[in-house]
Amino acid sequence: MTDPVIIIFLTGGLFLGWSLGANDAANVFGTAVGTRMVRFTTAALICGIFVILGAVISGTGTSLTLGKLGAVNAIGGSFMAAIAAGLTVYWMTKFGIPVSTTQAIIGSIIGWNLFSDSYTDLSSLLKILTTWVVCPLLSALIAALLFTLAKSFLKKIRIGLIRLDGYTRLALILAGAFGAYSLGANNIANVMGVFVPVSPFMDIQIGSIFRFSSIQQLFLLGGLAIVVGVFTYSKRVMMTVGTELITLTPLAAWVAVMAHSIVLFLFASEGLELFLTNLSLPTIPLVPVSSSQAVVGAVIGIGIVQGGRELQWQRIYSIVKGWVITPIISLLICIVGLYFLQNVFQQTVKRESQYQLSSGVLEQFRKAEINIDELDSLIDSVFFSSAELVRAVGKVVPLSSQQGLKVVEFSLRNSLFINADKISAIDKYFLSTQQLDALKTLEGKKYNYSWQLGNALAQKSEEWKMRGDGLKNKLKDREIKRKLEYLYRIFKE
Amino acid sequence: MNPLSLLFKKQYVVEEKVQSLLRFLEDMAHLYQAAYRAYLEDSTEEFLQRNQELREIEKKMDNLGHQIQMTLLHESLMPNSRDDLLWFLTKLDKVPSSFKHSLGDIILEKPEIPEGLHSPIKNMLTHTHLAVKALAHATDSLFSDLRSVRQHVEEVSRQESEVDRIEQKLLEIVFENKKYDLAIQYQLKGILKQIGRVTNLAEDVADAVLILATKHST
Repeated sequence: MTDPVIIIFLTGGLFLGWSLGANDAANVFGTAVGTRMVRFTTAALICGIFVILGAVISGTGTSLTLGKLGAVNAIGGSFMAAIAAGLTVYWMTKFGIPVSTTQAIIGSIIGWNLFSDSYTDLSSLLKILTTWVVCPLLSALIAALLFTLAKSFLKKIRIGLIRLDGYTRLALILAGAFGAYSLGANNIANVMGVFVPVSPFMDIQIGSIFRFSSIQQLFLLGGLAIVVGVFTYSKRVMMTVGTELITLTPLAAWVAVMAHSIVLFLFASEGLELFLTNLSLPTIPLVPVSSSQAVVGAVIGIGIVQGGRELQWQRIYSIVKGWVITPIISLLICIVGLYFLQNVFQQTVKRESQYQLSSGVLEQFRKAEINIDELDSLIDSVFFSSAELVRAVGKVVPLSSQQGLKVVEFSLRNSLFINADKISAIDKYFLSTQQLDALKTLEGKKYNYSWQLGNALAQKSEEWKMRGDGLKNKLKDREIKRKLEYLYRIFKE
Repeated sequence: MNPLSLLFKKQYVVEEKVQSLLRFLEDMAHLYQAAYRAYLEDSTEEFLQRNQELREIEKKMDNLGHQIQMTLLHESLMPNSRDDLLWFLTKLDKVPSSFKHSLGDIILEKPEIPEGLHSPIKNMLTHTHLAVKALAHATDSLFSDLRSVRQHVEEVSRQESEVDRIEQKLLEIVFENKKYDLAIQYQLKGILKQIGRVTNLAEDVADAVLILATKHST
């Protein structure tokens, strides 16, 4: 039976999901509904269905990046992070500034990191911040290209006004469905990502084909919250979008939605990542990007192609200002909220973790190319926060952001006991036969660090071995990491 | 069967109705020319018959126009396109009315048109017919091929200029001829202006067609 407190805390994520549905759905169908090209009920229904599909089928990729930025390890903390982000989005929406949950949740996670003295992976943060610049630029570029192509295509084909009207409407609905799918896939991590490490759900396996992981169940719940947001509050936002920056023609509206959806899809699709990898092409990082930034970028791109005269640069400036302010407000609300939740309501907002260096841990450091020559003095020292640990190690040897993340990962104490009961409870379809056999040989063993189990399994079977660098290996290693994370949860004492 | 025809059935129905409307418009232009010619050739019976036929088509056109308006109001066209089409149909409706009024004035006034003016008036009527025909083609293109609207609209303008030129010349002849008293001069002026009004309206509507085509293809 799930703890009712967990359900209450999950409402934080549901509130954020509602905010996302209320605000970001307008980016997908706003232009079509605002200009009355598509009925609101049609838009909301399509949006709801495809947001859920996107969230459940393709939502996991971006959540990994958020997890690297900061793994909120207590459900109280996740609750407050989600509430802070949700409130920020709600208020900014009230002020008529199209912000995204992405910016808000990033602010919240950093807020939690600061409050709990947890290490913030600057490389992941930089990766996300870079997308905040790249995303609108890329969207503008795609929109400009698509608009030019669509216009020249229209000049070449034989079509009349009424059929053009019908095809445009159909194209808007299809683009909206694609946009909703991409929104669900890319942004569900914002809504439920902070709850992934503390998910109250168990994986469900039906036969050998259908697997409904705990993360997917969380994402389904988040998707439903988004749908409620779409149906209850998005109409107003939709009616104001599309006319604020520039008056969009039906063709321009279609281009804006398509460019927005393509950008969100590019940054969310694991399938595309696999496809590019198979072609030995560089992959696009799976990062939650801002839906509002994508659509604003697209509208600017169209405006520039049209000569830029109609663009309201003052309005654009205020929107960009909103993008900078949003994470800061969310960060501050999160810190204040966490303080009250912890000290007034006596709730756990961070789980106590212990970080301890040992000779084995140093060996792991060495493998990660961290200079360990002078780290002997820190052996057996215990740290109670990841930031404290990185500061201490960083004083002795210079650490890059990635190395800081490794130091935290390898030093975290996590007692694991491999017992027969838990082995038998594992989904037999989730692990391969060789992987399961390797695990069974470790029955009765105890480990103090998660990586010790990973290493032991790698020694027992090639199928547990990380391949290291290389694009194709990256995807295989990610899959192994997912399975290991699952085992760490199962065997935790 | 083309799956698109199932999906866009309502749109195709509107297109078909517009096609019928344009056929009626062309028929009216033809009947107007024929009726006028009959009047100039003193064939009163034929004139009245053509006029009667024209009035019947005008009624049918009215009904069809109303049906299209209702379809546009109730069926699933985008509001932007719907508003534009309703505005356009209202403008288009003035052309058949101008035919009716022009012939109506003839029936009422029974003017005696001097023999010397017959040939240039027939020429004017031919250009009027061509202008309305070009308008029908421009409108047809609006519903079938937006790219070719401009060339038909330019044709309407050419014909309208020609009608204007002839009209001006005829007015000069009428008012410079001292044999006609002032009442006759003004009566003839009214008759010529009515014929010119048809092409003026055709040009107005053609301009509207061009505006819509440009707006919806960008």
